[in-house]
Amino acid sequence: MWLNRTQALGDFEQLVLMGVLRLADEAYGAAIRREIHDRSGRDVSINAVYTTLDRLEGKGLLRSWVGAPTAQRGGRRRKFYELRPAGIAALRQAYHAFHAMADGLEARLGAK
Amino acid sequence: MRSTPPRLAVWLLDRRLPDTWRDYVVGDLVEEFHARAEASEPAARRWFWRQALRCIAAPPPVLWHATVPQDSPGDSMFRTLLADFRYGIRILSRTPAFTLAVVGVLALGLGANTAMFSIVNTVLLRPLPFDQPDRLVRLFHTPPQAAFPGIHRFSVSAANFYDWKRDARGFEGMAVYRFRQFTLTGGAEVKSIVAGAVDPDLFKVVRAQPSQGRTFLPEEDSPARGHVAIVSHGFWRSHFGGADVIGRTVTLDGDPYTVVGVMPASFSVRSWDLTARDIWVPLAFTSEQRAVRDNHNDQVVARLAPAVDVRRAQSEMDLVSARLEREYPESNAGWGATVIPLQELIVGDIRRTLLMLLGAVTLVLLIACANVGNLLLARAFGRRKEMAIRSALGAGRRRVFQQLFVEALLLALAGGAAGLVFARLALDATAALLADQVPRADEIAIDLRVVLFVLAASFVTGVLAGAVPALRASNTDLNGALKEGGRNDAAVGLRTRRLLIVCEVSLSLVLLMTAGVMFRTLVALRNVDTGYNPHGVLTLSVSLPGTRYKTPAEKTAFFDAALERIRALPGVQSAATIDTLPSQGGSVQPAVPEGTAELSPRDQPTVAVRQVSPEYLKTMQVPLRRGRDVAYTDREALLVSASAARLLWGDADPVGRRVTLPLMSKTLTREVVGIVADVKLGELSEAPVPTIYLYTHQQPSPELAVVIRTAVPPLTLAQAAAGAIRSLDAAQPVDNIETMDSVLEQTLTSQRFSALLLGGFACVALSLASVGIYSVLSYIVRGRSQEIGIRTALGARTSDVVRLVVFEGMAPALVGIAIGVVAALGVAPLLEKLVFGVNASDPITLVGVAGVLAFVALAASLVPAYRASRLDPLTVLRAG
Repeated sequence: MWLNRTQALGDFEQLVLMGVLRLADEAYGAAIRREIHDRSGRDVSINAVYTTLDRLEGKGLLRSWVGAPTAQRGGRRRKFYELRPAGIAALRQAYHAFHAMADGLEARLGAK
Repeated sequence: MRSTPPRLAVWLLDRRLPDTWRDYVVGDLVEEFHARAEASEPAARRWFWRQALRCIAAPPPVLWHATVPQDSPGDSMFRTLLADFRYGIRILSRTPAFTLAVVGVLALGLGANTAMFSIVNTVLLRPLPFDQPDRLVRLFHTPPQAAFPGIHRFSVSAANFYDWKRDARGFEGMAVYRFRQFTLTGGAEVKSIVAGAVDPDLFKVVRAQPSQGRTFLPEEDSPARGHVAIVSHGFWRSHFGGADVIGRTVTLDGDPYTVVGVMPASFSVRSWDLTARDIWVPLAFTSEQRAVRDNHNDQVVARLAPAVDVRRAQSEMDLVSARLEREYPESNAGWGATVIPLQELIVGDIRRTLLMLLGAVTLVLLIACANVGNLLLARAFGRRKEMAIRSALGAGRRRVFQQLFVEALLLALAGGAAGLVFARLALDATAALLADQVPRADEIAIDLRVVLFVLAASFVTGVLAGAVPALRASNTDLNGALKEGGRNDAAVGLRTRRLLIVCEVSLSLVLLMTAGVMFRTLVALRNVDTGYNPHGVLTLSVSLPGTRYKTPAEKTAFFDAALERIRALPGVQSAATIDTLPSQGGSVQPAVPEGTAELSPRDQPTVAVRQVSPEYLKTMQVPLRRGRDVAYTDREALLVSASAARLLWGDADPVGRRVTLPLMSKTLTREVVGIVADVKLGELSEAPVPTIYLYTHQQPSPELAVVIRTAVPPLTLAQAAAGAIRSLDAAQPVDNIETMDSVLEQTLTSQRFSALLLGGFACVALSLASVGIYSVLSYIVRGRSQEIGIRTALGARTSDVVRLVVFEGMAPALVGIAIGVVAALGVAPLLEKLVFGVNASDPITLVGVAGVLAFVALAASLVPAYRASRLDPLTVLRAG
């Protein structure tokens, strides 16, 4: 249990986890990368995405399975990801922390 | 068509990514590539490459979560190398003075090597610009050794050539050619021109196609139809302005020759006398000329048949020659044939010289390496603390080594790039000089092979110069390095540095020795006793066109009148003519003393035969031993050299005896009127050959050299002498106006070339070695300043300190000199064939260069020694 409480997420880990959550059944490397690019404007490299996915899976926040090869990918397979409960909890915690800290600062940040 | 992602990138990814990730990562990239390619393919490709390179530099790790901490594999080699390169560039750019010094030294070494390699590449490695040039050979006669001692290649006689061509099966084709002198008129000026007179098969043998028109037809190889010409690309541009030329004419000796073809520029290989011509005409032998068997005046080129090598062709020619010897013993006894690849013939004697120079320039590079190694070592020790901290933080020895090594490589590559520029400039600057010295000099250029050479040489240089310092520095004792006030920098690695000085000095000595003996060779050749006095003589050549001067009487009248006018010029002491100037080749013929039967060609003695006018002896100052000079009152008279007299008559007195020159006339006997001293008519490095000087009152040769002894500097009379000849015939060209000294100097080009280059290399080596000694001593003095300070404080005198430091520098220098002497003696046998008048292991030269090196080492040691002696003990000890 203590593991989960101490597992603070890094900034990029948060982006990746939210990407997985958003994409639901279609969460694989390229789609996650594109989602992050489209929404946050960060053009990250695919190796960074996979490195992070792998780390998050190792922390027990994600689980993965392998799909079938497709012609679109030159006959290569996809690896799909979804959030484990621990992942959702960690993301929630990060979300709360961010909002708690940002509360009342919107005007000063020029965010609204 | 559907676009595909960059194949190379996919291939690299497939190699680089671990199995666990390959499919997903590459698949993702390919998928997104296709999506992006619909908008813009180039952009998609760029994107793909960017992504791929990032993955290649740092692929996702394998099974990060599946394992409990293993031994950390550390960063990938690729990644650390990249980092080291980046760090290396940063740190080198922070010490520009050091970087510039190292790059400068390396640029010098690598540049010299590159320039030298460019020359070797062009001359020795690059094939001649013909189709399958390695199949082209030249055929020569080998004359009987008893009659022609020391001569192994001889021109071919026409009848023998036609028999060779008929009988030898090992050749795809065989062609004969010779050179014909013409007077060219119709252009801006009248000039004499040497044309190639060629067999129509020649172009087929060489496999050269004209760029316009055609080559000669077989039926044009006859005196009746032979007035056709093929011109070179250069001549077409200069003489015809590059206009349409086929069917127009050139006027040679007053006769029109119809131009039927133009050879492309690539055909004009300057170092082959045949292709270097501007005009070629058909050989057009008469049937009498074809039948000449005992006069050898023709050149032969042939192409080996497929699957026949030079050795087989040679053994076949041996058989054919043996048969011809049996068939025509009176002309062919003892005459064989030899097959020599064309490339070898063109490159010829220069090969040994070039290889020696390449070896010498490699020594320069090695010295530069030792020098740079020294600088790097000093620098590495200066950074010992940095390295120690790295080690303390967990960097392995390999990592420290790698980083220093990468820096050395960076320096070497920069040096190589600068060296390439340097080589280019050097070759451009010396192009004019080179043109006279080496064959194919006009083709020397920096091509892909040279660039690859520079890359390889830079890499090896980096390894050589960087490995030792990097190894030594990565071995640094952590504790010692980190402790403040530990032993001073200079005290560490001293042995390595001394060793590098030993190397530098010994290599320099070998180079100096080589340069020394080559210089002495040049001096010896320049001062060689030719037997005549070449100083103060002006020479020029005159070739009378056969169309205007048809009979011997006309030619004689012309030359006699010309000499008379020249002798009348103020400043002229005497003047004469000769058919071939000394050291320009010339005729060698059998000579038969009266009263003896003509032997077979195998045994009949031969002599050099020169046709001279009266006063030749006086003009060239050839000493007359007995008898008298030839005179205008003689009809036919001979002078014989002392060795010719011995050869033909033994100890008997030849004056008043008679002799036949069967090649000129089997019936005419001529009287010997005098004996003259032996002179060197051939190469300066060879002994004089027995010679007969012949005077004929009816001059048969249309082409003569005029020699003029002057009381004033010879060239000041050049205009006047040429004017005197033109005053007889305004349309008569006068060529090759130069001094006899420069005629001789031209035969020394190869020696001058190597002496010059070696001298340059030796100077570079000497300065590098002295800089090396100086810099090492400076480090030592700085490192031992405390010790020196204490010594001074305790009463050491200035001379003691100086002696201490000078000893530090001289000890390795003297060891280097000793090793160098041994090495130079080991190299000497390789030089034996290149030297003249001096032994390649000449002790005087050896002592001399050892002395020069010792002196330079001493001078390089004195400056730091002086500085050490001026150290103020108070300051030094306080600073410590």
